[in-house]
Amino acid sequence: MPRVSKRKSDPVKSSEPATKKITKEVERIDSFFASYANTSLGMIDPEGVEKLCSDLSVEHTDVRVLMLAWKMNAKKQGYFTQDEWRTGLKSLHADTLKKLKKQLPELQKEVAMKENFEDFYCFSFCYCLTEDKQKNLDIETACVLLNLVLGRAYNLQVDSFIEYLKFQKEYKVINMDQWTNFYRFCQEIEFPDLKNYDDCLAWPIILDNFVDWLREKSTSA
Amino acid sequence: MSSQKKANFQIEAFKHRVVVDPKYAEKTWKILEHAIHEIYNHNASGLSFEELYRNAYNMVLHKFGEKLYSGLVSTMTSHLKEIAVSIEASQGALFLEELDRKWTEHNKALQMIRDILMYMDRTFIPSTHKTPVHELGLNLWRDNIVHTIKIQMRLKDTLLELVQRERAGEVINRGLMRNVVKMLMDLGSSVYQEDFEKPFLVVSADFYRGESQLFIESCDCGDYLKKAEKRLNEEIERVSHYLDAKSEVKITNVVEKEMIESQMNRLVHMENSGLVNMLMDDKYEDLGRMYHLFRRVPNGLSLIRDVMTSHIRETGKQLVTDPDRLKDPVDFVQRLLDERDKHDKIITLSFNNDKMFQNALNSSFEYFINLNTRSPEFISLFVDDKLRKGLKGVSEEDVEIVLDKVMMLFRYLQEKDIFEKYYKQHLAKRLLSNKSVSEDAERSLILKLKTECGYQFTSKLEGMFTDMKTSDDTMKGFYTAMGSELGDGPTLVVHVLTTGSWPTQSTPTCHLPSEILTVCDKFKMYYLGTHSGRRLTWQTNMGSADIKATFGRGQKHELNVSTFQMCVLMLFNNGDGLSYREIEQATEILTVDLKRCLQSLACAKGKNVLRKEPMSKDIGEDDTFFFNDKFSSKFYKVKIGTVVAQKESEPEKQETRQRVEEDRKPQIEAAIVRIMKARRVLDHNNIVAEVTKQLQSRFLPNPVVIKKRIESLIEREFLERDKDDRKLYRYLA
Repeated sequence: MPRVSKRKSDPVKSSEPATKKITKEVERIDSFFASYANTSLGMIDPEGVEKLCSDLSVEHTDVRVLMLAWKMNAKKQGYFTQDEWRTGLKSLHADTLKKLKKQLPELQKEVAMKENFEDFYCFSFCYCLTEDKQKNLDIETACVLLNLVLGRAYNLQVDSFIEYLKFQKEYKVINMDQWTNFYRFCQEIEFPDLKNYDDCLAWPIILDNFVDWLREKSTSA
Repeated sequence: MSSQKKANFQIEAFKHRVVVDPKYAEKTWKILEHAIHEIYNHNASGLSFEELYRNAYNMVLHKFGEKLYSGLVSTMTSHLKEIAVSIEASQGALFLEELDRKWTEHNKALQMIRDILMYMDRTFIPSTHKTPVHELGLNLWRDNIVHTIKIQMRLKDTLLELVQRERAGEVINRGLMRNVVKMLMDLGSSVYQEDFEKPFLVVSADFYRGESQLFIESCDCGDYLKKAEKRLNEEIERVSHYLDAKSEVKITNVVEKEMIESQMNRLVHMENSGLVNMLMDDKYEDLGRMYHLFRRVPNGLSLIRDVMTSHIRETGKQLVTDPDRLKDPVDFVQRLLDERDKHDKIITLSFNNDKMFQNALNSSFEYFINLNTRSPEFISLFVDDKLRKGLKGVSEEDVEIVLDKVMMLFRYLQEKDIFEKYYKQHLAKRLLSNKSVSEDAERSLILKLKTECGYQFTSKLEGMFTDMKTSDDTMKGFYTAMGSELGDGPTLVVHVLTTGSWPTQSTPTCHLPSEILTVCDKFKMYYLGTHSGRRLTWQTNMGSADIKATFGRGQKHELNVSTFQMCVLMLFNNGDGLSYREIEQATEILTVDLKRCLQSLACAKGKNVLRKEPMSKDIGEDDTFFFNDKFSSKFYKVKIGTVVAQKESEPEKQETRQRVEEDRKPQIEAAIVRIMKARRVLDHNNIVAEVTKQLQSRFLPNPVVIKKRIESLIEREFLERDKDDRKLYRYLA
């Protein structure tokens, strides 16, 4: 009997501090949230985001903000709901501003990992579709986003592609299909010689045209 | 005597061997040897066949067959050696005669000898596996006469020389040749081949090589072919007269190789007389000769076909790109038909209707017809012309012939959907202006198109015919119901067109005169009364009117004009000297249409019911128009506004093409979805191939356009790209 009771008591004993720990964390996260949230909306609005950014000493156009949004799986650009906030910061184990700041480099490393990057890349496109039922991104925004997200890893391709996007007149918007395929393009195709690009394969036409434009430029140059 | 021996008469078997006289064999042989000598010396008549036969029989019976046989061999051999000497001694032409004569004699002798020695032939020889008598006789002849060095060489040379002389035109003794050659054949096929045929073929090859060189330098293509054919026939005849039938193939091969195959290319490409010239000048006989000769050599026909194909393609290409030709579409198409007929005739008359050439003709036409993107439009205009007036009074059979020819050209088109668009437009105009020569002809053509392209292609066209019929019934109903109400108003004939079936046009603006409007409204009311839920829109750009006009000196004419023209003319009932702008304002007709309409009313010779100031050719916006009192015409009825199908202007053409391209997009998408639904997963190249195959009966889709449609379908989530394999697409259910 004592044994049983011991068992009974043991879990209670061990979880108590754990739950206490958890609840403490949640409390801190919530209060962290509250410090930036717009009380009437119940979520952090763009103003709050700006304040957060300056507190973190990052520009609000910095890619790390985007990464944070990704970690939170945020739905609406410029806004963080409480749930999203909780999700993100819990997985980062950051319940204070200091801890969050410290975690940013870790977050960057995490995003850069192969299995995560593609997800982040796609997320960033969706995140920018601000209107209801919007499926495509205008060229301007797309260029900015490309630079932000891929600029460091593939800066040659990105610079070239941005130049092309601004030059061509056929497409006024970029859709999800074209967006995702550009990343695959960067990964698979040798740049700048483009030797292994086969336009009989199923690349989107915008990339076929991009390659044609590049090849023309290099022969005329 | 007999009484002494009466008792104990017994028949005893021979107890002692019959001793044959040892000299018996020798004696018997001598008899036979002598006989052989006599036979060879033409003294056979004195011999007794029965006796000789018996002697030979006995020799064999008494086991002296060997002696008999060897004796035969040596006797015959010695005789043949004598004969050889006499043959060798003969001079010149007598050589062959002597040989032939001696051969004939030898055969006769051989037969007699064989008959005498028949028992040996049948018993001794088979059991000892020796050569039978007849064959022995031939072999001995061969070895002792034909294959002696002198005779062998001389025989060959003589025979070949005779052949050569005959080739040069001399008459030779064919009977003698035949006999001698037959002799060689009888001696064995290897003798014939070694001693005659092989050297014959070699010499012939040299001879014809020389001939071909000689002719090719001096003759034109047609003459050369005639000569070659002549030589070929000669050789065939030669064989039939005095050579072994098996030699025919061999010698004809030699002639074919030396005279045809080696000069094939040079002949075909000969300037001024080669294949191309023959084609252009319809030289049926020469072409037929070329066909039959070239057929005998490898690649002969394909050479003709290739040269013909490139020639047709070249001439065709020039035809379709010549700007002069393109001015008159009907003439353009007629020229195409003429070209086709011309070459068809050549293939039928000269090329044995060979399918290979038919195919070459078809592929060439397909190639160059599609070089000109206006071909579909022009073919439709040609048909329009024929159905409007060209086939007037033509018999039903001839109509069918013309339509079948048009269908032939239609099949060559890659962009059949463009043809469909134009055909619809032209048909609409024909139906509405009631200008079709024969409804049967129209129906017949639509049936042919349906057979060729399927129901889809022609369902709308048939709808147009149905509308016309229905409208007739509607009009009857209208006048029955409302006839009394309409009274003296203008007579209205309405064609109600179903929007989907007729070529789409933008509804133009036009303000109808009040008299017309009244009756039109009455019709609308009647129609909508019986067909609720429909909407009627007047297509004023497609209508026509007959109006009676009275001119200066009281002459009356009935004018057949378009609806627009009617609106303009009616204005002059209430005024004269109207400015362009006034007319524009009153009728509300669009500028382009109004200008065209005024041009035909005021500027066309013989039809100028209006007078324009200034008298320039073009309509200017500041012009003024007057009713032309001085108008005159021979005819009472004057036709002014015709809605005739015309070759489209450049911007119209662009517009039509654009519309067709737009129509193609959903067709391509439908094909893609159909294919993907069936296959679920497919790679890019295969989708493009499948789509092209599915649509090829209507048009040739551009691979880039297909790719664009795929992307559009991806965006709309009908398809997706495979996550791992770059080439694949997946169907999203």
